[in-house]
Amino acid sequence: MNNSPRIRPIVNPCAQPFWDGTRQEKLLIQHCKECQANIFYPRLFCPECHSDQLDWVESAGKGTVYSYTVVYNNSPSAFLQDIPYVVAIVKLNEGVQMCTNIVGCEPEKIQCDMPVEVVFEKLDDEFTLPKFKPAQ
Amino acid sequence: MSNIKGKAAIVGIGEIPTGRHADKAAIHFAVAPAREAIADSGIHKDEIDFVMPTGAVFNSQFNNDLVTCRLVEELGLKNVKTNAQVFAGGASGSCLVKTAASLIAAGIAKNVLCVHADKLGTGLAGGQAGIDLFSTAGISGEWEVPYGQHYSTIAALSMTRYMYETGCTPEEMAAVCVSNRKWAELNPNAFFRKPVTIEEILASKMLSWPLNAKMSNMLFDGGSAFVMTSAERAKDLPNTPAYLLGEGSRVTHFVHSQEKDITRFGWADAGRDAFAEAGLTPRDIDVAEIYDSYPIYELITFEELGFAPRGEGGKMFASGATWPGGKMPTTTNGGMLSQGHTGAGGGVALVVEAARQIMHKAGDRQVPNARFAVETGTGGTYMDSQVTIFGNEIP
Ligand SMILES: [Zn+2]
Repeated sequence: MNNSPRIRPIVNPCAQPFWDGTRQEKLLIQHCKECQANIFYPRLFCPECHSDQLDWVESAGKGTVYSYTVVYNNSPSAFLQDIPYVVAIVKLNEGVQMCTNIVGCEPEKIQCDMPVEVVFEKLDDEFTLPKFKPAQ
Repeated sequence: MSNIKGKAAIVGIGEIPTGRHADKAAIHFAVAPAREAIADSGIHKDEIDFVMPTGAVFNSQFNNDLVTCRLVEELGLKNVKTNAQVFAGGASGSCLVKTAASLIAAGIAKNVLCVHADKLGTGLAGGQAGIDLFSTAGISGEWEVPYGQHYSTIAALSMTRYMYETGCTPEEMAAVCVSNRKWAELNPNAFFRKPVTIEEILASKMLSWPLNAKMSNMLFDGGSAFVMTSAERAKDLPNTPAYLLGEGSRVTHFVHSQEKDITRFGWADAGRDAFAEAGLTPRDIDVAEIYDSYPIYELITFEELGFAPRGEGGKMFASGATWPGGKMPTTTNGGMLSQGHTGAGGGVALVVEAARQIMHKAGDRQVPNARFAVETGTGGTYMDSQVTIFGNEIP
């Protein structure tokens, strides 16, 4: 039970550039050329205006903690080995938000609206997950 | 705004006790409450012309059975024209109601049998299997599952932000669980019926801070059913009808982390629509059957519907205002926190309880002279906000 295999993302092919980006330590989001919306998670077309004229742009990787929780018990099997770990929603300065883990600090130090910046954690040769740590 | 007010009513209800029934097949949990609901309605079984099972999640073969007319055959219903599943996770109860009522109002169906059954207490391979099932059901496999998101963390994320914004205390949060338990003590179909205190809840194992184990629902076997018919037909039947007076709803996300406000969701708008259609205000409501699954959701919904100012709801749960004998009786079957979580059935049970109170059939926990009830449901990772209003008169 302590060595359950890591959970890998189930990739929608339209998001492949995102995962190629994280492997190179770049946090890519989509930008709509028609309505200028920033988009995350990746879509086939813009969820605001349905244009398919989307660019991939690199996020500065900075944002704030919208909310967070510290897991101490009863996690899914694959995460028992990581307890305690922090699940959070981060709002990026580009206006999009994502589920992530907060790493690199004591869980007790985390607060809502705290500034954070992206770090990249390699899961395996194919996947690197964007996570966040307190901003310097 | 919808145009369903006063056109259809729940006229019969059935429910089996929530629990662990390893000796019984899942179909038992469906046909037993269905038979009870039909008998309760006073409508002959062969007058049921539309069967609407909601989804079961413990086993896909059983769910396929429900989709492919097993209930019609097992119950020997001779004049069914359509069997079709309506499934919206925890929001299924509210969605069954509005779908059945619409079919009746349109003349497509006369007498609709709505049924839930699932076997999450004994049909899964132990506690960790339940956690693992519910760490993928409705949670994005690309954007959340790889981060260890699961239902405890989802509830905890709303708790953290809500407590940060409002100053609500852990004691007030736990008071929601105490309130639900007070009702479950009076409910023979509830699994958890012993009194619980705020201190016991806050001393229980920390799952995902700030969520304790005793603030979490547990999974059980269960089944419930109800029969809906037209308002005209309802007048001639033995039970006091529970007329559908209004409905309102919003869908706000699929991926939980895309939700813009995890401390509000779409409840204010959904509630406004439902109350406007019914021609009522929260002050007119005698009993509020608010979807829980975790105390944070019951608290948010209670406040957003207008039963307390934002941040003040917890004080009402702590004061006894929501308890038996209180001025705003809330979640009177004990909710998923005390009756038990049966999958989509947690929401169906609240519909059945709303009808039970309106019919004045709630026994020891009957709210005296209850005329108007609000019922809420939400599915997945709290993806939607579904509100229905029932009454035994049409204002
Ligand atoms: Zn666009």
